[in-house]
Parts: sequence; C-alpha cells; structure tokens
Amino acid sequence: MIEVIDLVKHYRAADGTVVRAVDGVSLEVRPGEMVGLLGANGAGKTTTMRVLATLLRPTTGTARIAGCDVRTHPIGARRHLGYVSATTGVPDRLTPREILRSYGRIHGLGPDVLEDRVEKLVGVLDLRSCADRPCGRLSSGQRQRVSLGRALVHDPQALVLDEPTSALDVMGSRDLLDFLVTLRSQGHAILLSTHRLHETERRCDRFVIIDAGKVVAQGTREALAAGRPGGLEEAFFAAVARPAPAEVVP
Amino acid sequence: MTMLAETMAVAGFQLRRMLTPQRVVIGLLGAVFPAAVLLAARRIGGQLDRNFAVLLVHALIPEAICMLGLLVTMCPAVADELERGTWAYVATRPRGRRALLLGTYVAAVAWTCGVALIAVVLALAAAGVSGGGGLAAMFGGLVLLSAVGRGALFALPAVVVPKRALVASVGVAIVVEYLAGFLPAIVNQVTVSLRLRSLLVSWMDWRRQLPVEFSMILDPNPAWVQIGAVIVLAGVLLAAAVLILERRQFPPADES
Repeated sequence: MIEVIDLVKHYRAADGTVVRAVDGVSLEVRPGEMVGLLGANGAGKTTTMRVLATLLRPTTGTARIAGCDVRTHPIGARRHLGYVSATTGVPDRLTPREILRSYGRIHGLGPDVLEDRVEKLVGVLDLRSCADRPCGRLSSGQRQRVSLGRALVHDPQALVLDEPTSALDVMGSRDLLDFLVTLRSQGHAILLSTHRLHETERRCDRFVIIDAGKVVAQGTREALAAGRPGGLEEAFFAAVARPAPAEVVP
Repeated sequence: MTMLAETMAVAGFQLRRMLTPQRVVIGLLGAVFPAAVLLAARRIGGQLDRNFAVLLVHALIPEAICMLGLLVTMCPAVADELERGTWAYVATRPRGRRALLLGTYVAAVAWTCGVALIAVVLALAAAGVSGGGGLAAMFGGLVLLSAVGRGALFALPAVVVPKRALVASVGVAIVVEYLAGFLPAIVNQVTVSLRLRSLLVSWMDWRRQLPVEFSMILDPNPAWVQIGAVIVLAGVLLAAAVLILERRQFPPADES
C-alpha cells in the first residue's frame, strides 16, 4: 500500500552545497499495518513523508501509494492518501464541521456522502461537543483531531502521519493512537513518525529507524529490542550510534 | 465539472476565511471612500462636470479600489495558507493545487467586485450626475474586468514568492499597470490598465474629443477586442501560475 524503494532526495542549500536529506531509504507498509518511522530531528523522516505526500519530488528512487507512483501519477496517489503534517494548519475562524465539509468537497465528495462522512468523523474523533465552535477556540488536542479528520474525510487507505501526537498531552496522545489502532484494524496502512517511543512501541507492528537519511534498522519491536534490557529505546540509540542517556539516580 | 466543484469549494472556504471583522471594515471603508471624495469635490466645486465625475470614479474604483481589494485578498490568502501550513493539506488533494489557486482567485475576485460595485453605486449617487443607470452598468463591466485581469496578475507573485507576495504584487502593480500601462509602446498591450482606459473612452464616446496625443495610450480596437484581451491575459497568467504551483515543492523549512 505504501512503498518506498531506494528513495533519494537532495536539496541545494542556500550556500550552494547539496544536502542529502534522504539517501536510499526503502520501506513498505502493507494494508492493516502500522509502521513507526523513528529518527532524530533532521534524520529525513519528514522529507520521506513529504515525498510520499507528493509535496516533494524524489531526486531518484520510487515512492508509491496504492500502486500509484508519486512522480508519474501524483493525482492517483493523492486519491488514496491521507496526510497529516507536523503543523495542524487548522484555520482559526472555521469550525471543525466547516473544515471537514470543505475538504470533502475539494475531494469531490457528493453532498449525501459528504454529510454522512462528516457526521461519522465528528463522532469517532469525539468532536461533537465542539463541532460548531471556531477552531481558534479549541484545545490543541481537538485541533489535532480536526487535522486527522481532514486527512480521513475521503476515507483513504494509506495514512502518512508526521508527528501527529507532538502537540498533544498524554491523554490526547493515547486517544489518538488508540484511534489509529482502530483504523489499522479496518485495513488502513499507516506510516507514523514520532519521537515518543514509549507511546508507540506497543501499538506499531514494525519500526523503521533512519539516521542521516539512511535506514539503519527495521523490524518488529521484539526483533529490534531482542537482548537489550532498555527495549526499543536502547535499540534506537544503538541504531543511530549514540549512547542511551544514563539513568538519573536521586 | 469536478474541477469546477473543487474550485468553488475552495472559493467558499476562502470567502469564509476572508470574512474577518478587520477585512469587513476595510471593505466598508473602500466602498465609502470614493463617494466621500466625490462629495468633497462637490462641496468645493459645486455641481460636478459629468465627464470629470466619470473620470474620477474610474480612477478611484476600477483602478484604485479594485487594485487594493485584490492586494488585501489574493496575496494574503495565499501567503497565509503557506505560513500556517494549511497549503500542504490542500496540495495533497488530487487536484488540490490548481483548486487552491483558482478557488482563491474566484474568492478574491468576488470579494473585490462586491466592494467595488457598492462603491460604484455610492459614488454615482454622491456625484449626482445624469444617466446614473448607464454609468453604473458601464462601471460594473470595468470593475469585473479589472478584478478578473489584475487578480490573475497578482496570482503570479503569490505563487512565485508567497512569503513576499504583497510586496511583490505592489511592485507588479506599479511597474506593470501604472508604468508600462502608460508607456506609448507595444508593452502596454499586455496591461489591464490600457484595456480599461480604452473601454472607458469607447463607451463614453470620448475618442473624438480627445487630443491626438492621447491616442498613443489608447487602443483603437473595438470593445470586444479589449474585453477579449483581458480574458486571454487572465487565462494566460492563471495558466502560468497553475503550472508553477503544480511544479512547486514544499520542503519542510517552508512550513516553519
């Protein structure tokens, strides 16, 4: 459903030097699977996700959503894609219902399907109490749920979510991740980037760890953490070749 | 049909976003300002000459109010999309990029025309000249053409330099519309101001009364050619803007 093969993305920096943001990344997310994309800031997670979201063109390599190459068939790829960026980008003056309706219309949903879909999302995303309140007056958790609803309004099979829990508190984060688990059980393929290992380690089926634009490890939590008392966190630090932080003894 | 529906969806979305109290106040001020100028002129000079009043309304509304209306709608809407990170959400829809640009354009043109048409009615009432109905229809046409042509003109800086769109659009307005538009050279053929001026002269039947020197900053072709030229110019500019936007990449740094 989501495929990345030998993806390379280079940028030209302001000083003329070439930045290798992504340097040969390959990964796959199958239907009904949730994969965590892990890496430090600047590792290439967001660039990889933006290529999948058709916001960036790959320098070389292939990225596909539901079989549609993002370079040659971007419209097809977008049809099957739900994307959430690290910035919620929810307009302050509009209500969640208005935003969901607008994005549904942009996707070409007919009035009957659209209303049905909006009401369903308002319900499952627990937005009923604030569905007609301007987004500027919502909490960050509610705004994040609106952002997710906007990505889901056309019922895409592939979800690319760039740090969707970054602005949320513990409760909000747990609720959102539980909702993603529900979506996974319905057959959605979910690629999720996060810095919060402890929240995702029991929910994701597999993890891909990238560092300096390259995949340095991938596998299930059990496989990555095998023989490591510090679990996935220790495996992450080992993969990116940095020592795990020392435990603070009071 | 789908493309039209998607464009109108974005236009509705942008119009709702544009309806901020500040923008409504700016719109009302824009609608009242030309009438206030005409009332002041009447107070100073008594009953206004009809031709002078028409010239003043033209300078104030299709030229100034339309230009300002588009500057405060088309450019900030696009820049705001980028800075708040909402652009990425539209750009990841199947035909989202072109729907975003065309929808924002439709919303900006609709908003500007709304303000300018109210301004025309108020200004003509304030001018107290004869044949107000005919003049209102003529200015309605000029307002629509001004908004259609210049909205497309401002679409280009909005996609090329979204973070400096307003400044770039002011530059474009001054250089293209007010400098090149008044040059007695071939370059003025691609400006909206030449077309509007030529239409005004043609519809007011002023051509024979004007000194011969004015013919250099007017186009002698009939009205349908002027209207067609504005529509073609708008189409070409919008197509170029869509093409640039379709090819534009959105690196992570653009969102911060």
